[in-house]
Amino acid sequence: MSALHALAVFNRLPILLFMAWRNIWRNPVRSALTISALAGGLVMVILYSTLLEGMTRQMVKFATEISTGHIQVQRQAFIDDQDLYATLPWSYLQTLEQQFPNIHITPRLYSAALASAENTSTGVLIKAVDAQREAAVTQMLSHVRRGELNLAVAETLDDGLIRYNVVIGAQLAKNMNLEPGSELVLVTQAADGSIGNALYRIAAILKPLEPSFDRMGVLMSIEAYQQLMYLQDGFHELSIKLDDATSLEDVQAALDTKLKLIMTSQSLDALGGVPVVRNWRQITPAIADMLELSKTMNFIIGFIVVGLASMGMLNTMLMAIHERRHEFGVLLAVGMKRRWLLLMVLFESFFLALVSAFVGSFIGIIFAAYFEDHGIDFSASMPDGYDWAGMVFEPVMKGYLEPAHVVNACVLMIFVTLFASLIPSWRIARLKPVEVM
Amino acid sequence: MLAEYQMSSNLATSVSIYRTFCRFVFIVCLSLLSSTANAIEIDELIRHIDELWRGNTSHATMTMSVKTQRYQRSMTMEAWSRGKDYSLVLIREPIKDRGIATLKVVENIWNYLPKINRVTKVPSSMMSGSWMGSHFTNDDLIKESSFQDDYTSSITFEGERNGRDIYEITSLPKMDAAVVWGKVVMLIEQDTLAPYKAVYYDEEGLLMRTMTFDQTQKIGDRTIPMRMSLQPEDKPDESTVIVYQSIVFDIALEDDFFSLQSLRQRR
Repeated sequence: MSALHALAVFNRLPILLFMAWRNIWRNPVRSALTISALAGGLVMVILYSTLLEGMTRQMVKFATEISTGHIQVQRQAFIDDQDLYATLPWSYLQTLEQQFPNIHITPRLYSAALASAENTSTGVLIKAVDAQREAAVTQMLSHVRRGELNLAVAETLDDGLIRYNVVIGAQLAKNMNLEPGSELVLVTQAADGSIGNALYRIAAILKPLEPSFDRMGVLMSIEAYQQLMYLQDGFHELSIKLDDATSLEDVQAALDTKLKLIMTSQSLDALGGVPVVRNWRQITPAIADMLELSKTMNFIIGFIVVGLASMGMLNTMLMAIHERRHEFGVLLAVGMKRRWLLLMVLFESFFLALVSAFVGSFIGIIFAAYFEDHGIDFSASMPDGYDWAGMVFEPVMKGYLEPAHVVNACVLMIFVTLFASLIPSWRIARLKPVEVM
Repeated sequence: MLAEYQMSSNLATSVSIYRTFCRFVFIVCLSLLSSTANAIEIDELIRHIDELWRGNTSHATMTMSVKTQRYQRSMTMEAWSRGKDYSLVLIREPIKDRGIATLKVVENIWNYLPKINRVTKVPSSMMSGSWMGSHFTNDDLIKESSFQDDYTSSITFEGERNGRDIYEITSLPKMDAAVVWGKVVMLIEQDTLAPYKAVYYDEEGLLMRTMTFDQTQKIGDRTIPMRMSLQPEDKPDESTVIVYQSIVFDIALEDDFFSLQSLRQRR
């Protein structure tokens, strides 16, 4: 009996689908309005998620590729208060490079200093890098605004004094009135307590990348740093780039284990603390939180937009069914089963949603592709980009079209639409043919 | 005047008002008198302490030993000063830092670096930074001269403590003064007027550092502690000790002695 019954539904399915499809186009204006409301909502959701995805990707890119890297290794005392003496021995770098041939590692050193030029002086943060290794990990050195990137020896003065090239941040250059070729004096307290001081030549000025470097960053080679600071035996930080970012947690754990192993054979002094391996989410938690937040936001806002569109849908369907009560009454009177009638109305909603999904994603993808190519350009008002959550963003806000987002949005819309049409369908099921005819 | 006016206008209440007024004037005069007496004494004391190592002009040789968790070093320095606004410090030892000079003129500090033959000005943002790697800050050099302007001092204890007669001076920052310390307490021996201890507190009233003075020597008519030890509270293993080898007052110094030119010339 039930098998027969099921068969009966299948037998009538084509005719129900056919009727539903025809019913939609009996009143093209009404359907077109419904479709445009739904498709419009879908376009909004697609555009919104495209922009958000673009920003998210830009953020991840800036958070990792500009200067942070995917993973960093530092000692606890350096993380806590930039302790100059909290270095890791150079042998650690060699061991790690041998053990992990598939990741890119670059060492760095830092120090606070006093920078002086002709008439101005200001506190700066020295960052020493290995130019070759750094280029394999981050893009920091490629964002040159003026001058030519060069961290080598600029000249040797008559009395044997060496002037190294340094690279500085754009805001610092502006504040101190420096140009490529200018002379810079750095004075600092060297590791042995003496007054480290040396002359440098500005080789290049970097574009704004991170606000702190932009304002007070001076980039030099590790040799130059060692001569200034008398700090030969180690480095403060390792920055690591993975070719495959999905293995982040695994590599992080492996590095941590390896470092603990190295520590047993080459012990570290107690003052500097243990080496700590952190991924970029832990280093820049504000950005990681922002990414999580934007995912949730995308879903909520998408839901609201689709919800509003389906309110329109609900209204249209209620009106349509109210108008067609007479017709439904006739159908019921000639013997159509109520559940088939209900099914037919649901099919109508489904077709409307399906057409809207096609139209909406088509238009949405066209717009999104435009944003992906051109982006929204703020460079007229903000030539240096904007500063958000401690990072500098490019002034062009580019979208990124993630196909999965389009599919998700369509599925979400179809479901919400079907859910919305349950109410008018429910009213049909309770229709009394005699009253409506 | 006010009392006269009130007496003539209203005889009924004038007597009581006049009495109250007289009492008020008396109290005001009394408190003014007592505070003036105290104020002169405290001002004299502060000025005495302020000028103790300085005189009109001075020339001193001293050794500064800095001990930190990471290194221990000592520097021999020569220092000249005129009044509270001008001073010049020149490093003699060790060889690595020889010739580095610090010039202070009013609120500005310049360093001369002989290795690169450049003069650099210490910006106001670096004033809280360490001076020559010690536990003294650049600000200590500057604020010393404006201490009287920035703090209100008063004698908070006078009498015997731990077997010696002392003055305890407590200095609190004035309302709008840009200062580092929330409170400074200085202990001074009554008979010699030589300080033997200064305690520095932050704005929350937490003890930040203690300076002790000893090895007093009588030079001219004043008793001068020849050793100062600075002990930061958060780093018990670290300290900076300055020992004066010699100090001479009221020497003749040319007018342009404290200038950038002479800073460069004095190698």
